[in-house]
Amino acid sequence: MSGTFNKFFAIDLSTGSINEKRMDPEYFKIYVGGSALAARLFLEEGGTEAAPMAPESPLFIMAGPLVGTTFPGSSRFVMCARSPLTGIWGESASGGTFGADMKKSGLDGVAVTGKAGRPVYIFIDDGTVSIENADDFWGKDTYETIDALKKKHSEDRSARVLAIGPAGENRVKFAAVSNDKAHYFGRCGMGAVMGSKNLKAVIVRSTGKVPIADEEAYKAGRKSALETIKGSMVAESMHELGTNIGMDIGMMTGDVPIKNWSKGGELELGEVLGGPALVEKMLKKRGFCYACPIGCKPIVTVDTAEYKVEEGPGPEYETCATFGTMLMNNNLYAVAHVNELCNRFGLDTISCGTTIAFVMEAYEKGLLSRDNLDGLDLSWGNMSAVAELVKKIAHRDGFGDRAAEGSRALAESIGEAARDFVVTVKGLELPMHDPRGFHGMGLAYMNSNRGACHLQHTVQPVEQGMVAWDAAGFEEDYPATESRGKAKMVAIAENLGQMANAVCLCHFVYWAMGPEHLLDGFNSVTGFEFDMNAFLEAGRRAWVLKRALNNLMGVNEVDDKLPKRVLTALTEGMAEGSVPDEALMKKEYYEICGLNEKGFPTSELLGSLNLEFLKEKLY
Amino acid sequence: MAIDVFTDEWCAAWEEKLKESKDFPVYNKGWEGDVGCIIQPDPEKGLNDEKYLYLDLYDGTVNGIRMVDKEKAESAKFVMIGPYVRWKQVAKTELDAIKAMMQGKLKLKGNLPYMVKYLKGTQEVIRCLTLVDSKFPDD
Repeated sequence: MSGTFNKFFAIDLSTGSINEKRMDPEYFKIYVGGSALAARLFLEEGGTEAAPMAPESPLFIMAGPLVGTTFPGSSRFVMCARSPLTGIWGESASGGTFGADMKKSGLDGVAVTGKAGRPVYIFIDDGTVSIENADDFWGKDTYETIDALKKKHSEDRSARVLAIGPAGENRVKFAAVSNDKAHYFGRCGMGAVMGSKNLKAVIVRSTGKVPIADEEAYKAGRKSALETIKGSMVAESMHELGTNIGMDIGMMTGDVPIKNWSKGGELELGEVLGGPALVEKMLKKRGFCYACPIGCKPIVTVDTAEYKVEEGPGPEYETCATFGTMLMNNNLYAVAHVNELCNRFGLDTISCGTTIAFVMEAYEKGLLSRDNLDGLDLSWGNMSAVAELVKKIAHRDGFGDRAAEGSRALAESIGEAARDFVVTVKGLELPMHDPRGFHGMGLAYMNSNRGACHLQHTVQPVEQGMVAWDAAGFEEDYPATESRGKAKMVAIAENLGQMANAVCLCHFVYWAMGPEHLLDGFNSVTGFEFDMNAFLEAGRRAWVLKRALNNLMGVNEVDDKLPKRVLTALTEGMAEGSVPDEALMKKEYYEICGLNEKGFPTSELLGSLNLEFLKEKLY
Repeated sequence: MAIDVFTDEWCAAWEEKLKESKDFPVYNKGWEGDVGCIIQPDPEKGLNDEKYLYLDLYDGTVNGIRMVDKEKAESAKFVMIGPYVRWKQVAKTELDAIKAMMQGKLKLKGNLPYMVKYLKGTQEVIRCLTLVDSKFPDD
C-alpha cells in the first residue's frame, strides 16, 4: 500500500500497554485517513459511549495519505476525541512538521486511552513508542515544555513536540495543544483531553520516507499544483499579509463580527487590526509549515512600554477578531500580547476570546458584577482586565473557573437573560465569519459536525468568491446574503472540506490550488483511481459517519440551529438588515443530503455510502 | 447616450465621476501610485487590439484617466491585467473586482499590502466606473 504504513499504536496510559495495530486495508479506500478514519476507529473503540474526559475515552492523533510527502500543503494532521466543550465529536487540525515526521516514522497515528497515574509523555522514535515520566514538565507552560523536551530529545535528530500548558492540565474545556510552539490544535478542547489523561506531551523523531504509488505522476502533479499556487492571488495575499487579510476584506463584506456580534461597520477597527497594520507594526518574518509554498504564519515581536511579546507566532485573523473587534479593542499590540498568553497557557483563542466577549456584554448588562468577576472591570476594550481573565481561565482561578467551562455553560449558569447573546452552535463558539454577511456560512455552521466551524467545508472561499471551482459542481457566483439555493453549495463544500481533513491538506493551499490538483496528488500517492465523483462521495461518507456518531451521542434535528444573536439583523455595516433564512436552508439541506425529520441519515443514505453497519446502531 | 469604451471621451466621463465622488478623496487620502490597466483582446467580441488605460491618482485627487500605450501602462506602480470579458463584467457590476483578482480572472502586479490598505478606495474607483453609461464593442 502507498500513502500509508497501515500501522498505528494503541496506547493505554492506565496500564502502560502499547500495542501495534493494523486496520482492514479497505479502510484507506473507504475512509481515506485523517479525521474520517479516526471517526471510524472512534466508533470501534467505544468513543460514543465514554464521557469526554473519562479514562476510556479515546484520543486519536492521525495523519492522512499525503502527509509526509512533499505535496504542497501536506503538513496537516488531526487530533480527534469526544469534545469536553461540546460533548460531541471533536476534531482539530494543525500544521507544522510533527505530522510529517510522525508519518515518516512509519506510523499513520496513535490512539490513546486510559489515564496515567502520574504525568507522562509519549515518545515516538522512528516507529518505536515509549511512555516517559513528565513530572519535571507538569506545571510548565507550552513554550517552556517544548523547549525543554526538544533539548532533551534532539541530540542527533530534530524532535517535534506537542504539549499542553496549564489550561490543559486544569482541563479548561477549550484548552489547546501547542505544536512546536508555532502551531495549535485550537478547537474542541483537545488539550483538556490530554490533561485528563495526565498526558503532558507527545514527541516524535523520524528518518523514514512515505511510500508513493506512482512517482512520475506524483512529480508531474506536484509541479503542476505548485505552478497554479504560484499564480494564485489567494496564495500571494496569504503570504504577504497572513490570514489577517481576512480582516481587511471581511470589513468590506460584512464578514467580521464586532462587539460580540452586535455591531456592523467600524471600518476604522479593521484598519488598525488588519493585515497591513500587523505587517507594519510587528512582523519579523513569515513562517512556513512543512511542504508549504505559501508561508502565511506571522512571526512577530512586540516591544512597547505596555506590551512585550518575544519572537514567536503572531495573531492570526481569528485572534485579531476575537481579541480585537469582538472586544472593541483597537490595540493590535494588546492582541499580540494576549495571543502569546493563550499560546503559552494552551488556550483556543476563538473560544477564549468569544467567551470573554460574552462576559463583557453580561457585565455591561448588569448580569455579572465586578464582585462576580473578582474585581475585574471587564468594560469593552479594557485589555489589561482581559489579560488577567485569560490567566484566571487557564488556572481556573476564581471567576476563571466558570469561564473555563465555555460560553454556553457560562450562559446557562447566569440564566435566561444571557441566552440571547451567547453565540455557539452545539456548544462551540462561532469562528469569526458572520452568517448575516454570508448566509451559506450560517447553514454550514448549523450542520458542522464539531459545532460551528469554518474549516469542515470550503464554504468560505466559495461563497466569498475567492475561488470558482466548476469542476466540483459549484456555480460561478453565489449572492452573499441570499439563503435560497445555498444548500447544494454547502453540501458540495462539505464534501470537499471533509476530504481535505481526511487527506490532511492545508485549507489555504487547497484554496490556492483547487480540488483537481488535490485529486491528482491523492491518486498518485495512493494508487487509487478516484474520479471527482468518487472523491466527493468519500467526503460525503466522512460527513455522514461523523453525523451518525453525533446522533449516537445525542444530536438531533433541534441542534441544527443558529444562535439568536446572528439571527438578529444588524442596523449598520455591509450586512445591515440581512438575516439568514434558517428554516429554508435547513429544509433544502435535509432534502438534498438525505437526513430524516429527526436529523438522522436515512437507511438508504447509509446503504449508498457503504455505511450499513450504522443502521443497527441508529435504527 | 452611451459612450464607446476605451476612448478619450469615456476616460473623461469616468474621471468626471471620480471628481464628483465625495468618498473618493476620503478613501484615497494618502494614496501614492498610478494604475495601469491592460485589457486583453477578444476578436470574437469585437475587441481586436489590446487596450491600455492609465489612471493618475494621488492622495485623494484624480489627475487624469486616459488611454495610453503599452509601455506607459506597464510602467505604472500597480498594473491590472485581464481578458476583455472580465473587465466588461466588472464595469457592469456583474463581477466584483476584488473577487476577480482572488479568482485569477484579473491579475494584479504591485505592492499587495499597500493596495489592501486602500480597498475602499479601489472599490470607489470601480463604483464610479459603473456610473458611466458605457457602450462595449459587443453590446
